[in-house]
Amino acid sequence: MKYVASGAMAALLLSGAVAYANDSVTAEMAKPEQWAIQTGDYANTRYSTLDQINKDNVGDLRVAWTFSTGVLRGHEGSPLVIGDIMYVHTPFPNNVFALDLNDNGKIIWRYEPQQDPEVIAVMCCDTVNRGLSYADGMIILPQADTTVVALDAQTGEVKWSTKIGDPAVGETLTMATMPVKDKLMVGISGGEYGVRGRVTALNLADGSEAWKAWSTGPDDEMLVDPEKTTHLGKPIGADSSLNSWEGDQWKIGGGTLWGWFSYDPDLNLFYYGTGNPSTWNPSQRPGDNRWSMTIMARDVDTGVAKWFYQKTPHDEWDYDGVNENILVDKEFNGEMRKLLVNFDRNGFAYTMDRETGELLVAEKFDPAVNWATHVDMDPNSETYGRPQVVPEYSTAQNGEDENTTGICPAALGTKDMQPASYSPKTGLFYVPTNHVCMDYEPFRVAYTAGQPYVGATLSMYPAPNSHGGMGNFIAWDAVAGEIKWSLPEQFSVWSGALATAGDVVFYGTLEGFLKAIDSETGEELYKFKTPSGIIGNVMTYVHDGKQYIGVLSGIGGWAGIGLAAGLTNPNEGLGAVGGYAALSDYTELGGQLTVFELPGAPAAN
Amino acid sequence: MKRLTGIAALTLGLMMTGGAFAQSAETAPVRGAGATIDPEQNQVEMQSNAAGAAVATGAGEVAPGQTTGTTPHEGDVAKMDLVPDHMENGRWYNAEGVPVPKIEEDGTVDWATFSGFRRYNSECHQCHGPDGEGSSYAPALKNSVLVMDYWDYQQVVASGRTVVNAAANQVMPAFGTNKNAWCYVDDIYVYLVAHGSGMIPRGRPAKRADKPEEYTAFETTCMES
Repeated sequence: MKYVASGAMAALLLSGAVAYANDSVTAEMAKPEQWAIQTGDYANTRYSTLDQINKDNVGDLRVAWTFSTGVLRGHEGSPLVIGDIMYVHTPFPNNVFALDLNDNGKIIWRYEPQQDPEVIAVMCCDTVNRGLSYADGMIILPQADTTVVALDAQTGEVKWSTKIGDPAVGETLTMATMPVKDKLMVGISGGEYGVRGRVTALNLADGSEAWKAWSTGPDDEMLVDPEKTTHLGKPIGADSSLNSWEGDQWKIGGGTLWGWFSYDPDLNLFYYGTGNPSTWNPSQRPGDNRWSMTIMARDVDTGVAKWFYQKTPHDEWDYDGVNENILVDKEFNGEMRKLLVNFDRNGFAYTMDRETGELLVAEKFDPAVNWATHVDMDPNSETYGRPQVVPEYSTAQNGEDENTTGICPAALGTKDMQPASYSPKTGLFYVPTNHVCMDYEPFRVAYTAGQPYVGATLSMYPAPNSHGGMGNFIAWDAVAGEIKWSLPEQFSVWSGALATAGDVVFYGTLEGFLKAIDSETGEELYKFKTPSGIIGNVMTYVHDGKQYIGVLSGIGGWAGIGLAAGLTNPNEGLGAVGGYAALSDYTELGGQLTVFELPGAPAAN
Repeated sequence: MKRLTGIAALTLGLMMTGGAFAQSAETAPVRGAGATIDPEQNQVEMQSNAAGAAVATGAGEVAPGQTTGTTPHEGDVAKMDLVPDHMENGRWYNAEGVPVPKIEEDGTVDWATFSGFRRYNSECHQCHGPDGEGSSYAPALKNSVLVMDYWDYQQVVASGRTVVNAAANQVMPAFGTNKNAWCYVDDIYVYLVAHGSGMIPRGRPAKRADKPEEYTAFETTCMES
């Protein structure tokens, strides 16, 4: 309790006139030899200035050491490194290990939470966990059962514990939290169970709730100001959410959070996206279903929204809008702008002004995308900012019990939560993508609390008339809205990318390869097959003057469900069988950290 | 299994191992009297396997992490009576009252099988993968229904199943109170049996019978009760 008290004091001081980012996080993030936040930095660039490992020597990379997590499910996120300690998390049961980098990874402490396994039953898409956070000498663990636990980073001792949701109604916690100033941002998952989405801000000092902002519902519960909160430059007006739903559907209408948060200290705004509206049957929820599928910019202290942008109004394809928002400052039309770049599941890459929410660019980042022709960019148009839906691929227009075929992308999205990376050296974004299309047949379902609430049948297959693979790894120019180059992959790329000052970009593949490519050309420079498929994110750190690359292996998640047995081949028509590149032919369950290094002592700088 | 000891004996190894199938097909499988396995259905399976070279072995059909014991083996012969005997509430049942799929020569599936395909995708697919083929952690149900009997299947769907230990963290929810699942529990069963036994390939059944009126009546009663 002594510690909590002093922590509260510190928070009190911080929350005064001084409006800096959480000092401890900012300080630790600023050290390039550490990996102090899942997203690399508050801006979500996943870029490292380390360059010991570079494009000339990355071909010599070798395995330095490995660590088995003891859990055999989908491993998302990455370890953190603070000082001489590496922190590794696992999928459910969400164990945490503190490894001593000075002693060959000896386990300094471990934390094994006791959770009711019943929560597994409401985790729609594997028992994944996107990782730990660090703030104020604490390691923060988001548990599947929606408990957030703060652990002493040195000892593993529990500082506080707060439960933010209820698994009995399908609420779970899979995303990483983000510490900002004196607060901790936490989201909730469960869009496939009719969960009503929200972000909860906890006080870092003691875990108590500071405020809560719902994605849908009455204005006061959404923490919006109808006159000041804007959508594409205009006030959203009163009851903006309630007016866009039929009846009380918004109460079970989704808009959950399970991607990544980003934060701009200068604007004091944080950003995230909301997920799909529930159910997947659009006919059961007429209207735009605000504010599902929306990029949200909120004030860190009050939670009040500055602006929203709904990317996919009235979703008909399960294109959750949760993907990371990457904050970069770049020249746009001859002027330096504070930009936000988002690669949405719906296949459009959006470039926005992150201060005002102005839409600057919306272009397809996979040529296969066909459900909409384009996004209306004319501010004077009635449909400004809206995707122009192609009737042939509209599951709402084709209606309930009708099978709409050939929609690209599939519900997996052109990209899911696997985060992209941005290199200020090349000015390019490096994006792991899916290249999968689908048939989608919505039908009526009843809601039962804590039970799946889906209401659509879908069949997925590799994008037709393409390279036959299910993924691409692309380099993207966010100002021009163009693909610079695209590397075909046999499977979806479900691993977070890492770009470094060594002119190398790293990513993992579902077969289990860690790959290093040239950040300018995309040329493959190195690959190594780890024990299981990779859905984790690549990270880097320095210990004793030597740079390392780390990644978690452990097949699972949405990818492990959809691709394990292979997809159907649309080109073979009736009688086709799913022998189409089954992931099960390449990899098995696993749970391992692999750390890479260059041979020998580090080169002198 | 007792209640399913029917007259038709399908050699499962035959159905599940594509490579061996063509060969075995010539040496007519042992079938009990009255078992009328439509040659057309077998034809579909053969084409399917020919089309998907990667499914040349049984292993190709087993998802990673699949629990052992749910995989049909050669010699592990399920004695399933798959002969539609009578219709009740718009669904087909065998002589012992176990629901069965009914597939016409041209591949047309009965309404319940089609409905099962849709309901499977809504309620089961998120864990068990597309077409009952299994995921990285949940078993392939198209196989499970061949090695567990209908009554066990019903019980697991109703009550759920928990396997939590050092090696596994598997919890299947109880669907007994979920009308979206429970009102269609027989449909999902016949769909999985139809696909698992090779009567229908992966994907959405191309042709289906119309929805029988009795079915609609039953469905309405069940969903609104």
